[in-house]
Amino acid sequence: MEGLPLYMKYQIPIEGYERFWEGLKKGEIVATRCKRCGNEYFPPRVNCTCGSSDMEWFEVKREGIVQTFSEVFSKPQGFEDFSYIVGIVNVGNLNLMCWLVGKPRVGSRVMLRTDGTRVIGDVVD
Amino acid sequence: MSSKVAVIGVGNSKFGKRDDVSIRELSWEAVQESLNDAGLTLQDIDLTIIGSTAYRGVEIYPAPVVAEYNGLVGKAPIRVEAACATGSAAALNAYMAIRSGLAKIVLAIGVDKMTEVGTATSLAIGGRGGNYQYEFHLYGTTFPTYYALYARRHMALYGTTEEDMALASVKAHKYALSNEKAHLRKSISVDDVLKSRVISSPLKLLDCSPISDGAAAVIFASEEVAKKITDAPVWIKGVGYSSDTSSLASRGEWTSLRSAREAANNAYSMAGIVPADVEYATVHDCFSIAEIIAYEDLGFAERGKGVSLLREGQTEKGGKVGTNLFGGLKAKGHPLGATGLSMIYEITKQMRDEAGSVQHQFKKYIALSHNVGGTGHYAYVFVYSR
Ligand SMILES: [Zn+2]
Repeated sequence: MEGLPLYMKYQIPIEGYERFWEGLKKGEIVATRCKRCGNEYFPPRVNCTCGSSDMEWFEVKREGIVQTFSEVFSKPQGFEDFSYIVGIVNVGNLNLMCWLVGKPRVGSRVMLRTDGTRVIGDVVD
Repeated sequence: MSSKVAVIGVGNSKFGKRDDVSIRELSWEAVQESLNDAGLTLQDIDLTIIGSTAYRGVEIYPAPVVAEYNGLVGKAPIRVEAACATGSAAALNAYMAIRSGLAKIVLAIGVDKMTEVGTATSLAIGGRGGNYQYEFHLYGTTFPTYYALYARRHMALYGTTEEDMALASVKAHKYALSNEKAHLRKSISVDDVLKSRVISSPLKLLDCSPISDGAAAVIFASEEVAKKITDAPVWIKGVGYSSDTSSLASRGEWTSLRSAREAANNAYSMAGIVPADVEYATVHDCFSIAEIIAYEDLGFAERGKGVSLLREGQTEKGGKVGTNLFGGLKAKGHPLGATGLSMIYEITKQMRDEAGSVQHQFKKYIALSHNVGGTGHYAYVFVYSR
């Protein structure tokens, strides 16, 4: 028999992270740094594991190196209409996830930008 | 308190797409077998720990219904969850209850009905097994994608190939043929794996474990009780556990699971053994690449050389260290809540020389279970002796 469907809609707070989410819309990619110990965070966070909450935002370097990638064929609910390659890119002290455009290999150079919603890495070579 | 903890009874349901039972009847199969195996009745159980991830079934709070159906009302106050390592989390809780002296006989039940939702829903739930907001939400990563990222990096750094990875799947399917409780009992070839459809590149359908329903149950006892009621206890000699970041990107390495290495080292040191002492292991082969990485994380092979064990047949029956001779997650099936306890079921059968056609030959009777939750978000390694 059929069970009762369960629709779950979520509201997620972005308080303290407006800079990140608004930044994506404007083409900016930002991370946080602890002013006390210097730790850098991506995903960004507003509290440092050193105990300090005195953090600053900074722009992530735009040139990165592909560490690994995967093209998703069997897609999850919500992504059926996209074709995409998930990549992890190293930019200095940080590694971040993005969608890669082009023909990546491990070690490819990429230039990072946003498409207004998420981080995109254009494969340079 | 008891300084030693033994496995005294084990049960394992048939794994597969179990449209014929709800979660409670499924758990019953494993619980009844474990009680019969131990020669105990419900009255003997002091405490029950129920492991279930539950999100893919209608019973999202499954512990009460499972406990009630099995006659364990009043004895089942805890449900645990550690993603794909939920069964081992239940086992560790049982172990701790006995070590502390709180209980003498503890039943751990691991159960999941994973096929009550469709595949797209299942992938959306699995994709959340990591960092929701900064990875899944933005990039549509599925659970196979996470291991695909490890596979791609392993291939680039160590020259591991898709054919190499396929060997792990072929081996799993070969052994599942003789396990009547296995989900996928069908022999496959390297070519079949390579030609199966891509799920998340470079992983293909036959690199992935199936979505399974299943249950496993294990009864643990204190040393005093175990010696009284059985002459074939399997002792837990060492427990190791660790965890890792939710976000995959922030780990900085994608060829090895730090949490699994740490869990293994802790378990080895507590048991007073080295990797070369292990004669039999159940390894967490949720994907073909995961079996190769497991060999390396457990110290059976050097970093980057895990595939050589497969190529040389060293992890086959009669090899240096037999692994997953019941078919592994890949072919036996991988009901998340049950898997860790199903590993203990398998090890107990092997250590008692009750494994029939897939019986491994032991000299010292030292075995190990390696159970990973998420993509190394949780890791449990336990060492066993006879
Ligand atoms: Zn700090």
